[in-house]
Amino acid sequence: MSAPLVRLEGVHKWFGDLHVLKGIDLGVEPKEVVVVIGPSGSGKSTLLRTINLLEEPTAGRVFFEDTELTDVRTNLNRVRAHLGIVFQAFNLFPHKTALQNITMALDKVLGLDDEEARRRATQELDHVGVAHKADAYPGQLSGGQQQRVAIARALAMRPKVMLFDEVTSALDPELIQEVLDVMKRLADEGMTMVVVTHEMGFARTVGTRLLFLDEGRILADGQPRDIFHNPDNERIQQFFSRIL
Amino acid sequence: MTIASSRPGQRDLAETPQEVREVQFAITTLGLGVAAVALAVGGPVLIVLGAGLAASDLFGVFASPVALMWLVVGLGGAGLAFSRDRRVVAIAVAATAVMVPVIVAGFQGLVPYSRAVNAFMSTGSLIAMLGGVALGVAAILAGFGRYGRMPTKRAREQAIAGAVLGIEAVVVGLTFLAFRTLGDPDRFVFHFFNVGILEGTGGVFLRGAINTVILAVVGELGGIVLGLLLALLALSKRAVVRAPARVYINFFRGTPLIWQLSVFYFGFSLGLGIRLELTIGPVQLSAAYVTAMVVFILNTGAYGAEVFRAGIQSIERGQMEAAQSLGMTYGQAMRFAIVPQAVRRVIPPLLNEFVILIKDTSLVVVLGLFPENYDLFTTAREGYSATFNASFFTAAALGYLVVTLPLIGAVNAVEKRLRSGLVTVTT
Repeated sequence: MSAPLVRLEGVHKWFGDLHVLKGIDLGVEPKEVVVVIGPSGSGKSTLLRTINLLEEPTAGRVFFEDTELTDVRTNLNRVRAHLGIVFQAFNLFPHKTALQNITMALDKVLGLDDEEARRRATQELDHVGVAHKADAYPGQLSGGQQQRVAIARALAMRPKVMLFDEVTSALDPELIQEVLDVMKRLADEGMTMVVVTHEMGFARTVGTRLLFLDEGRILADGQPRDIFHNPDNERIQQFFSRIL
Repeated sequence: MTIASSRPGQRDLAETPQEVREVQFAITTLGLGVAAVALAVGGPVLIVLGAGLAASDLFGVFASPVALMWLVVGLGGAGLAFSRDRRVVAIAVAATAVMVPVIVAGFQGLVPYSRAVNAFMSTGSLIAMLGGVALGVAAILAGFGRYGRMPTKRAREQAIAGAVLGIEAVVVGLTFLAFRTLGDPDRFVFHFFNVGILEGTGGVFLRGAINTVILAVVGELGGIVLGLLLALLALSKRAVVRAPARVYINFFRGTPLIWQLSVFYFGFSLGLGIRLELTIGPVQLSAAYVTAMVVFILNTGAYGAEVFRAGIQSIERGQMEAAQSLGMTYGQAMRFAIVPQAVRRVIPPLLNEFVILIKDTSLVVVLGLFPENYDLFTTAREGYSATFNASFFTAAALGYLVVTLPLIGAVNAVEKRLRSGLVTVTT
């Protein structure tokens, strides 16, 4: 097996008195699609945000390839360019068009020239099916279109890992599928992904590995098929019985 | 979903003959109220201005080259606006273009001031006041007596509006009447609306207005730059960076502007000999004038810093996270993602600060400026000192309003546009 792209070692996170992550050990191999599920408040989003250090672990270490992100000497900005993340609330820049949302970082971070940045941005917008909205502002797009632009923005950086933080939770039901389709295609193309989601169908069919998180601990880690069909843990059985 | 504004039994149209009569009654009440205000407020004012116009050389005013140029430019602008289908703007511009010479002529006709007093004390004006009060009382009785019986919401509002207009007419009318009988209109007009004593001061007031605007614009522009800088320091996560910015902001917000002007000029400039004279081409700016500009920049910077800080903090945290996740540094994220959004949000409060600064520039009166640097208020104060007539202050107030009212209008327009969702952020 190849070396893990992302590695967490004994990660703990406290928010004040709240112990959110209680010793997480995790390695994500290239081309894996790791789906993280669990009850709300179980620390799923915090876990995901720890991977690109949007949340700094209170204890433990986080690695990307051979770089330790928790080492203060590491230039986080440089590493983050390789770790795409998509948020529940899209977080597009409302004062920029869809195209400019993408070219901004290509210009300022990667230093691409205008033409190259435009070319790459258009290509990524086309990839997620919103090329025709290149000049629209986020406020003029539907939720599903905004989220796909956000995915294109992350992809344009040519990341080695994509992180998805409940990306369909803020969408109207009829807009969810268009975003899931884009994610499925990414998975098929071999992108390494970590996906926090409530979409069990997606978890079962697209995920290559499933993590069940509860109260800051990984309760189960394995093939989605196995966990869905033979949940050996009482908490997991309870969770499935409530949502399925 | 809109909040239901209608009760189940509410209707828009009257149905029975009785209801039709009630609706007509409401319209009559509203008409009474409007007529009462027109008489009580408009009557005396129009009679006074009319007396001025009657005595003025209206034709001469309109025939003067300045007025003709004014009319050509104004009506041309109105035509341009009309051709671009902005009719409201066109009508407003055209009305302004025609009315300004008329008002100027009216004021010219009010020399000597006794003409205004006589018009105000005339029988016609007395009748207008008494008539306004009488109609006002009628509107109050009719509106408040019957509004509860109105069958439609619209009629009810008309009845109430008529009654309220009646109150306003009675208050103004009685005030005028009391002033006529108990007060001393002659002395009042002599001291506050003495157009004759202001004759020939148009040039110095214009210069005063220009100086006021220069001081305020320089102070605001410099203050915006300084304020943004201070805000970024005040938002640092490092206490050692925040502390000096906080000290500066709190000091300049915590001491009076008049104290700052005095210390910087009398203390530093005159006392320590740090004279901030400035020569820009042929223009020589005195130490007092430049010191005033510097103090306005320093002071506005402190207030601007708080405005920018609030604006930057109002941007959702996700914006910074998104920018940093793309590999941008904190500085890049601020510069390209956060600050451009914050600037849009702080335009209305910054314009408000500007309106406040325009008025605060009047504090330079303590500095003893050279006459060519007089602002509006100093111009008025010097005029008063020479004549002991407060009409100079009235003229200064008009000058301030001419500058501030359009700005206040702009603030409201910008706020409306921002609220209408031009730059909304989806949550």
